[in-house]
Amino acid sequence: MKTFFKALGNVFKKPVTTKYPFEQTYKPDDYRGLIGFEESLCIWCRRCEAVCPPGAIVFSQDMEGKQTYHYNRAVCIYCTECVRACPKEGAIFQTAEPAPCALKEENINNGWNKLFAEAIESRELYAAEKKKKAAEKAAADKAAAVAKKAAEEGNKEG
Amino acid sequence: MAKQYEIPIGAQHISLLEPLHFKFTTENEKIVNTEANVFYVHRGIEQACVTKFKFRQVSFVVGRVCGLCSISHSTAYSQVAEKLLKIDIPIRAKYLRMLVIELDRIHSHLLCLSHVAENSGFEALFMKTMQYREFSMELLEAVCGNRIQYDFAIVGGVSRDLKPEVGQTILKRLKTFMPQLEEIVDIFKTNWTLSLKNKGAGIINKEMVYRLNAVGPFARAAGVPIDVRNETEDLLPWKEVGFEVVTETSGDVYARNLVRLKELYVSIRIIENIINGLPESALITETKAFPEGEATVRLEAPRGELFYYAKGNKTQVLERLKIKAPTFSNVAAMRAAFEGNEYASAPAIIASYDPCLSCTAR
Ligand code: SF4
Ligand code: SF4
Repeated sequence: MKTFFKALGNVFKKPVTTKYPFEQTYKPDDYRGLIGFEESLCIWCRRCEAVCPPGAIVFSQDMEGKQTYHYNRAVCIYCTECVRACPKEGAIFQTAEPAPCALKEENINNGWNKLFAEAIESRELYAAEKKKKAAEKAAADKAAAVAKKAAEEGNKEG
Repeated sequence: MAKQYEIPIGAQHISLLEPLHFKFTTENEKIVNTEANVFYVHRGIEQACVTKFKFRQVSFVVGRVCGLCSISHSTAYSQVAEKLLKIDIPIRAKYLRMLVIELDRIHSHLLCLSHVAENSGFEALFMKTMQYREFSMELLEAVCGNRIQYDFAIVGGVSRDLKPEVGQTILKRLKTFMPQLEEIVDIFKTNWTLSLKNKGAGIINKEMVYRLNAVGPFARAAGVPIDVRNETEDLLPWKEVGFEVVTETSGDVYARNLVRLKELYVSIRIIENIINGLPESALITETKAFPEGEATVRLEAPRGELFYYAKGNKTQVLERLKIKAPTFSNVAAMRAAFEGNEYASAPAIIASYDPCLSCTAR
């Protein structure tokens, strides 16, 4: 009987639900939201990329060695692990902003997989190029040293 | 012998929370035999954990084994990894882990209770319980920054600190929850319609619990005080924060409801004690070691004993990880408890098991 009167009373109560898109639902200040990146502070150590569990961060590199940061909000699980791993405070940080929905045009899954593979490849290319340059430089140095030595010996003899 | 019929429920069914398949053999509405098929959501998480992810990342992966007891999984994994690394975690981290586990238990138990009400045909109580449950989700969001995947326990400690004002909010919200809880307890205990569906349904007795190896509220409702919090103290100091084991005797759906409701009181007391006596210390123990050797860990998840086994070989990636979820232990007892019941009680009985198939199938 008590339950019945309670139920009747409920008819006159305000609804407990929130009209979501028009009213903001509860969100704490330190909600785990989108990851932000501050390029000027970054020292390009790539630690955030190494710790990220789903692989939502990747750095690509051009032939001059300049690195670019890529981040995919749809792959990210908002675990804050990258922020904890970063040695430079403020280079990577977490905002309280929830991620917006992904649109079809963004091609967020396949596009990202491609980007990820390309980024890794670009780094390998750069590393190979660097190695080649270093080898060339070493060879040139060696040749120069040999030539110098030969010249010195020639001087002695002469 | 009367004519026998086979009735399937699942894997997709309106009264099931999870992809679970039961095949009942009935004789004049009485269930005489049950077959259960529980592996519909196998995702190969154990294999992924030992191939694709480094051991520090695995605590985030196992947190996604289950939506309801995410924190139990990540805590259990963190503990097993800490055993392999041979480190001890700061006391504050232990307290915060217990706090989140108990908050999680509140929301999980309320969810289960609401589904029992729904499957017994009491839709209004379902709505009410869900409405009252919302506070626990918001508190978890305030503590961990997310409503479901908490990512709170990490290898070596916890990822976030508890702000004093959040602690005060928790205490305040728990105070407002108390009268609401009494109201629900009153309905679950005294409502006549609910008792028709719940009392005497799905009975399991003590002897069956031991024989079929049931765990969690399922076993405690039959009067067996199986609770990991009661048995081990070495990883989390449960007794210090006022844990007490809750049991009932009749072993039916009604008793399982009561066990869950009474455990809410225990959880609330634990949370209050933790917040009032939170020790000061660091949050995380840093180490550069690699996991080595073998270790096992048991932890009381909302549904019962959660078991983790891990083996490391001094590299970044583990060699083996084994997860045994509470529902997996309960499957045999679940089948047995159906026997002799009316087919019409089956949905309520299923809900009262609180089955979690994502955990079971991993
Ligand atoms: S929050 Fe976690 S998932 Fe997201 S980018 Fe950082 S480490 Fe990766
Ligand atoms: S860890 Fe920090 S400093 Fe290093 S690359 Fe990432 S953002 Fe830059």
